[in-house]
Amino acid sequence: MELGKFLTAPEYGFVIVTYRDIFQSAALEKSRFGEEYRKLSAVIKMDSGDIKKLGVVEGDTVVVKNACGKVVVRVEESGYDVPHQGVAYMPNSPWSNSLVSADTGGTGVPKYKMIKVMVSNARGEAITGMM
Amino acid sequence: MVNCLNKNYYVCTGCALLCDDIEVEVSGDHITKIKTVCRKGFSRIGGCIEPMPCTSDGKSVDITTAIKDAASILMNADNPLIFGLGNSTSGAQKQAIELAKRIGAVIDDSSSFCQGPIIEAILHEKIHTCTLDDVRNRADVIVYWGADPSNSHPRHLSMHSYFPRGEERQHGWEDDRTAIAIDVRRSHTAKICGNRFYQIPLHTDAFLIEALIDALSGKVPKVPFEYDIKKILELANVLKKAQFGVIFAGLGVVYSIGDMGTMTRLMDKLNEVSNFHLIPMMGHYNMRGFNQNLFEATGYFNRVKFEKRENGFDVKHGVDYSIMEVLNTKKTDAALIIGSDPMSCLPRSTAEYLSEIPLVSIGPCENFTSRVAKVTIPSALSGVECGGSAVRMDGVKVTFEPMIKTARLSDEEILKRIMEAI
Ligand code: SF4
Repeated sequence: MELGKFLTAPEYGFVIVTYRDIFQSAALEKSRFGEEYRKLSAVIKMDSGDIKKLGVVEGDTVVVKNACGKVVVRVEESGYDVPHQGVAYMPNSPWSNSLVSADTGGTGVPKYKMIKVMVSNARGEAITGMM
Repeated sequence: MVNCLNKNYYVCTGCALLCDDIEVEVSGDHITKIKTVCRKGFSRIGGCIEPMPCTSDGKSVDITTAIKDAASILMNADNPLIFGLGNSTSGAQKQAIELAKRIGAVIDDSSSFCQGPIIEAILHEKIHTCTLDDVRNRADVIVYWGADPSNSHPRHLSMHSYFPRGEERQHGWEDDRTAIAIDVRRSHTAKICGNRFYQIPLHTDAFLIEALIDALSGKVPKVPFEYDIKKILELANVLKKAQFGVIFAGLGVVYSIGDMGTMTRLMDKLNEVSNFHLIPMMGHYNMRGFNQNLFEATGYFNRVKFEKRENGFDVKHGVDYSIMEVLNTKKTDAALIIGSDPMSCLPRSTAEYLSEIPLVSIGPCENFTSRVAKVTIPSALSGVECGGSAVRMDGVKVTFEPMIKTARLSDEEILKRIMEAI
C-alpha cells in the first residue's frame, strides 16, 4: 500500500475567473443533466506551471474548495501565451457556482469572476455530480 | 418571420443577437433542417432531451391542475418572488409584471447580477449608444471589452461588428475596421483582434479607464501595475481617431468596475474628442426587453417590489429586492421561476433556499430548479414553438413567428391563466 495515499495533498491558493464556452452552452441547451454538459463544465483551466506544482497532468482531477463549497473537476492546460500562475479559469456552471460566495457586499452581485479557492490533487477522485 | 425572395426567415432566440435570417425545413410538427444558425442556436432550436414535465407535488397532473396549484401557492404567500423572464417574450414579461402587482411580489431578472448597471445608464440616457445596424454600416473602431462574443454571441462578429461590408465600410475588416480586445486572457475574440489585444491584470479595468481618460486629455497616463505606457497611448490614439467607435461591454468589465461612473466618464471623454457608442453584451434573448418593460411600468428596470396597499400598491426598488438579497435573507416564502434556472446560475449556497419554499417552475425544459419545484409547468419554446416580440441587445424590437406548432402553452398564456385562477 502506498504511504502517499494517507498524506494530505498540498493545497495552493488560486483565483478563479469564470468564462463562457460555446460548446458548453450548446450542450446546456440540449441537456443540463447529460454527460456532455458535465464534461464541458466540470473543468478548470490552469497554467502549465501550476499543473506541475499540483503534481497532476491534464485530464487528472483536482479538488477545488473554499468556505462556500467543494467540487472535484478535471484539469486542462489553458494554452494561453502569457503565464498566469495563481489564476485559473472555469466555465460558468453549477460547478463554479458551488464556489461563489453568497456575500455580495451589499451590491446584490456575486463575485463570479473573482472566486478565491484552494486547489489540490484529487488523486483520482471522480468529478462531482450535480443532482 | 421575414419573407424575402420567397424564402421564410425565422428568428433565433439563442442569445440577445436575435439573428433574423434563420431558415428551417419542417415536416409536420418537426424541424428537419436548420440553416444559418451558430452551434448554440442550432442546439437551442433542436430542442432539449428532457422536456419540462407537468407536475404538482411530484405527481403528473394536467395543465389545469398545475395552473390551479401554482395560483394557490402564489395566493397563499406573504412575500412571493417572481424571477427569470429573460427567455420569455415581451408579452409574457408584461403579464408577469401584472401578476407581480396583483400578488404583491418582488420581481427581478438576471440583469440584477450581470448587465444591470449598463442598462440603467442607457435607459437614463447617461451613455451614448447605437444599434447593431449602425455598427455594421458605420463602425470603424470596435472594442470588445471583457467580452468574448465568439463564445457568448457567436455570430456577433460575422453578422454585425467586424466582418461585414457595411454601407460606409465597403472594404470590410481588412481595411475599414479595427477590432480591439481588452481582457484578462487571450479569448477567442482576442485572437481575432491579433496585436490589438490589450491584456490587463484581474480587476484593473477601472485603472485602465482612468489612464485612457488621461491619455485622451493629453496627460501622461499611469497605471498601478506593470504595463507599457506606450501601448496605452497607442490605444488612446486609435480611439481618438475613430469616425464611429463602439465599445461592446461584457461581464468582464461590468464585474470589474462595479458601478458605471468610470465608464460614463470615459464615454463622455471619448465623445469630446471622437464619436463613441456603447452596447451591452446582454445574454438572454429578451433580458433587455424585461428591463425596458419594467422600466415603462415602474421607472425601474429590475429589483422591484410591489407592496400591496388597500387601494393598489407601492413600488419599491433597490438591492433589498434583488434575487440575491431576497434569497440570502430568506425573506421570500414562495417563488415563481419563468424560463430560468437559478439553482444553476446563482451561488449554490444562495439558491439552495429555493428548495425550502414552495416553488413553481415554468419553462420548456427541465432544469436544476424545476427538479426541486412543487409545481412544474411546461411551456412552448419561444421563437420555435411560439411567436412574440423581444428587444435585441441594442434596443431594437424584433418580432417573430413560431417555426412549428405545439400543444404546449406559451409563458404568456400560462401566466394569464394563473392570473385568472387567483
Ligand atoms: S448568435 Fe445568438 S441569435 Fe444568432 S444564431 Fe447564434 S445563438 Fe442564435
